[in-house]
Amino acid sequence: MLDGRGLALALSIAAMLGLRAVGLLVAGRLRPDHPLIAWASAVSQATLSAFVALAVVLPGGAAASLPLAARLAGLAAGLLAWWWGRGRLLPALLAGLAALVAVRALLGG
Amino acid sequence: MSSESPSSPFRAGAGAALGAPAIAMGVSFLAFGAAVAAAGLGPGWALGASLGVYGMAGQLVLLQAGAGDPAGAALGATAANARFLPMAMAIAPWLGPPSGPGPGWRWLALPFIAITPWAAAMRVLPGLPEAARLRWFLGFALASWLVAGLATWLGLLAAPWLRPSLLAALLFANPLYFALLLAAEGRMPASRLPILAGIAAAPLAILLPAAWGLLAAGLVGGTLAFLLRRPARRGGRARGGGGGGGRG
Repeated sequence: MLDGRGLALALSIAAMLGLRAVGLLVAGRLRPDHPLIAWASAVSQATLSAFVALAVVLPGGAAASLPLAARLAGLAAGLLAWWWGRGRLLPALLAGLAALVAVRALLGG
Repeated sequence: MSSESPSSPFRAGAGAALGAPAIAMGVSFLAFGAAVAAAGLGPGWALGASLGVYGMAGQLVLLQAGAGDPAGAALGATAANARFLPMAMAIAPWLGPPSGPGPGWRWLALPFIAITPWAAAMRVLPGLPEAARLRWFLGFALASWLVAGLATWLGLLAAPWLRPSLLAALLFANPLYFALLLAAEGRMPASRLPILAGIAAAPLAILLPAAWGLLAAGLVGGTLAFLLRRPARRGGRARGGGGGGGRG
């Protein structure tokens, strides 16, 4: 018998397969610029950006122990490194994490 | 990219996945495994989330939602990964015919449509011969998927030895990675408004229960951005990438 966590996971796995399957099914039946697709795309982008904003400004769990200044520094350094590196993800990710750790150490966290 | 090993597209795809994408993904999934362990959940749940949900934003929403409201948690995770729908639509034409005389081999790609494989495939597949495309994608996707599972498992195992400060830093890899992907998407004018609207709507998630807050923020922000963008789309060129939004 599934507990609450297991049930949520099972429902989510089914939903993810459903999203992907519907996308493959309707491909070719709707134009890429169909309003429904544009709306789904906008909602998914907004959801992800809201998630990132909350994770930086008001994180839960262990990440909440990181000072806000360190989180903001990590984000800023990552974005700057991404921009300087012409969109290369890995160096930007490492630069952001290094800045996070450095600022936290400076603050004595 | 089209010059990559035409003799074995599957192997070429797997090789491409085992570079920078695997490291970036590996850090995220390692941190996820450690976070799952910190939440007191076991390897079955962790691997189910990493390999079944296979979309880090949704996985984290699911983890943070708690056990109280399974339907709300699943809806929140679905909203966080709702981009799978337009991503699948955008990539489908590159994976072969949906039906006809063949059995619809593109369905093999179904569980693997996620940000990292999708972004790589949309860059590489147009330059490959038609017969090689699905095999390249499956090679890349399967390698990425295995890296995700392995990193999750390592995160679970390593959690007891990780100092809380290191775990916290690793956990920050996930939102940072997504911030970088959003920055890449933000280079496209059509993507900027939904991204900014999502940030503006984020406070809704603070006011509502954890399982529903992110869903509400995404729906409100995304719908507002969609409605605000509509007049411009009608008046000017309708950009064809509305479904993909760039990098997924």
